[in-house]
Amino acid sequence: MSDRIETFLGLSVELTAFSRFDLLATGLAERYLGTLDKVVGGDTTNTLLAAFAALPPPGDGTRARALRATILGSELLGDVARSLIKLWYSGTWFELPYAWTQRFGAKPADATFVVSPDAYVEGLLWKAIGAHPAGAKAPGYGSWAYPPKIPAFPASDTKADAVSVHLQNVGIMS
Amino acid sequence: MLFPSESALRVDPQAVAGSRDYDIVIVGSGISGAIIAKQAAEAGKRVLVLEAGTGANRSLVGYDDLLTTFYSAAAKDNQSPFPVNANAAMPRSPQLRKLQAGETDSSTYIVQSGPYVSDTTYTRIFGGTTMHWEAKTPRMLRSDFKSRTNYGQGLDWPLSFEEVEEDYRLAEQEIGVSANVEDQSYLGQTFPDGYVFPMRGLPLSYLDQQVNNGIDGTSVDLYGRIYPLKVRPYPQGRNGIPNPAYDGGRGYRPVGAVNTHQVEEGGRCQGNTNCVPLCPVQARYHSGKTLAKAFRMNGKSGQPLVELLPQAVASKVVIDPDSGKVSALEVKVYEDPRSPVYETITVRGKVFVLAAGAIETARLMLSSGLRSTSGLVGRNLMDHAYLLNWALMPQICGTMRGTSSTGGIVDLRDGPFREKQAAFAIDIHNDGWGWATGAPTSDLLELVDDRNLHGRELRQGLIDRVSRQLLLAVMLEVMPVESNRITLDPQFTDALGNMRPILSFTVPEYTMRGAAYARQFSRTVFARLGAQDHTSYDRSDFGYVAYEGQGYAIRGGNHLAGTHIMGTTKTNSVVNKNQRSWDHENLYLVGGGSMPTIGTANVTLTLAAMCFRSGRDILNYLH
Repeated sequence: MSDRIETFLGLSVELTAFSRFDLLATGLAERYLGTLDKVVGGDTTNTLLAAFAALPPPGDGTRARALRATILGSELLGDVARSLIKLWYSGTWFELPYAWTQRFGAKPADATFVVSPDAYVEGLLWKAIGAHPAGAKAPGYGSWAYPPKIPAFPASDTKADAVSVHLQNVGIMS
Repeated sequence: MLFPSESALRVDPQAVAGSRDYDIVIVGSGISGAIIAKQAAEAGKRVLVLEAGTGANRSLVGYDDLLTTFYSAAAKDNQSPFPVNANAAMPRSPQLRKLQAGETDSSTYIVQSGPYVSDTTYTRIFGGTTMHWEAKTPRMLRSDFKSRTNYGQGLDWPLSFEEVEEDYRLAEQEIGVSANVEDQSYLGQTFPDGYVFPMRGLPLSYLDQQVNNGIDGTSVDLYGRIYPLKVRPYPQGRNGIPNPAYDGGRGYRPVGAVNTHQVEEGGRCQGNTNCVPLCPVQARYHSGKTLAKAFRMNGKSGQPLVELLPQAVASKVVIDPDSGKVSALEVKVYEDPRSPVYETITVRGKVFVLAAGAIETARLMLSSGLRSTSGLVGRNLMDHAYLLNWALMPQICGTMRGTSSTGGIVDLRDGPFREKQAAFAIDIHNDGWGWATGAPTSDLLELVDDRNLHGRELRQGLIDRVSRQLLLAVMLEVMPVESNRITLDPQFTDALGNMRPILSFTVPEYTMRGAAYARQFSRTVFARLGAQDHTSYDRSDFGYVAYEGQGYAIRGGNHLAGTHIMGTTKTNSVVNKNQRSWDHENLYLVGGGSMPTIGTANVTLTLAAMCFRSGRDILNYLH
């Protein structure tokens, strides 16, 4: 796997809080990188990947702040990163905001579209809430009668208690 | 039960036009036409079914194409699986906008003449609207058949519940209803001794149970009468666990997918949470299941008794001026859904059945100049009015799982209050706020774009925001009003030159009084649940209706009725109690359009029951 896709996966893990394993399991990582290239162009995509690679290393207390400052809060990269988050979660590329287009130029492929039928089905949103995409990956007859199985996710360094607090209401399907 | 392979063959329109041996010509392949076709074939009759859509979804590939179209659609509205076909256009709700006073909007297939803009839909493809229905199958209540006598509202049916009851059982058998008699025996509903539904009731969702935990044992007081609250399961037209006690212990065999082996698909609901717009596995009933049985029936010489001509849009009912009977149908047969090129053929038969849905059937009659002696064709248009109420539960409820809806609050379907205001039934939507807000996609956009969440906080935010969603969809009774109607105007036509329906509608005050109460009722329920009410109705909403100083966004229910109303004489109705035209003895107008009132029952089960009645009458007529 190329460095470029590895960097893209690293960025995507950080933005989505889904593991590299989960992201690869969608089968869509290369397709989504290709979507970025197609919609915003290779240059902007490379700028985004370079900004990610330049973040302070994990464990460094300044990394989260740097992510906000240089990517999510970047005038060029912020909206692109947010569209990438939405892409992973829904399978849909959402058209960039008008202000972005005004400033950085309209991109011919920048419209709201579902990347592919399986992209909808593999949206992370459904997995995040212990559900399934409407119309696919059905959990089985009667499963709806039981509490959801909401998958745990890695606790952050600073908010290690958040997950356990909120998941206490959630039972395990019997 | 599979479609026989020869039924996929393309029928030659010229052979159809040249044929003189059809006993029955049916317009529409939805549940009404399918039931009558099957009944007729069982009696050895020759039947032609005309379908405006392409019929491509008869094959497994064609059906799965609809699913792929749905997956690929950026806006997943309730018609999103069904490709645009200008030759058989259908209403699509995302295209609507609010009207100014006196304005008409002809930019959508249904021309909206107002003042209320309806987002009601129906589906013009093989299988009709059963391809996208939610499949809730409550019976109408005994009192619903006599609302004029009982409450001074609406009209009485020319039939009593007792006269329809046996046909309700036939409809429940044909659709394959999953329900438990003990769950449905509320508000005085009774069933014959020993009756069980074909399949056991689907379990209530975890969300339903959480709501029930908060309201069970409580009640509301309405005009001095106490109504107890609880969440009750809805009967469902989708496959569950067959009840071995059905049919005197003979049991019930569900029909799964009709174009692949049902061991693989559709034998039982899997919880795809997608009944609307399309069950991916055909566990939910669609009329193709009934037609699959009809297509398999052969005549004495071995030829199939039922033929289907797709891409065939009936455009004129031709009347013989001497006898007053229907002599033929003119039908526009198009070659390609992408092209408006068509040829007109003339189809002959002994009996003609218009089963194209309440709006299309009225449209066909009016475009043929047939207003009926009563002048009521197209009038008395009804559709359930929906008022949506949405809130966040205090606890995680696992929203977005289940069939689309499993339970609801239905104890206000009847009571003396119906003298003053509309009754209602509430369904709990297992897909959360989707109908009201576009959830969960709208939640994702808000959390990412406005709340600047990513990573773990986004995941936690989605759990908090989506898994706690509760939507109470209040389905309100709407009574017949002659000025609520479908009309036509030659200036508004479709790709084939057929006139498009023009809809004029005012939500009756009786319904709005019920809506105002339903809003208060929902607030009471939310308070008992400790749920945060997020409901808001936007003044610019296309369905916004002001009533007594408040505003409400009213949604259409896709439960269209009344446009060829049934009654006791040719001056007070279009059809008799067998759905036969008073004016044309070999013409039947069937479906929701015949219903004089709709109560608080989703219309499909009742209109299916009525078609069994009509089917028998047609066979009597032919003999």
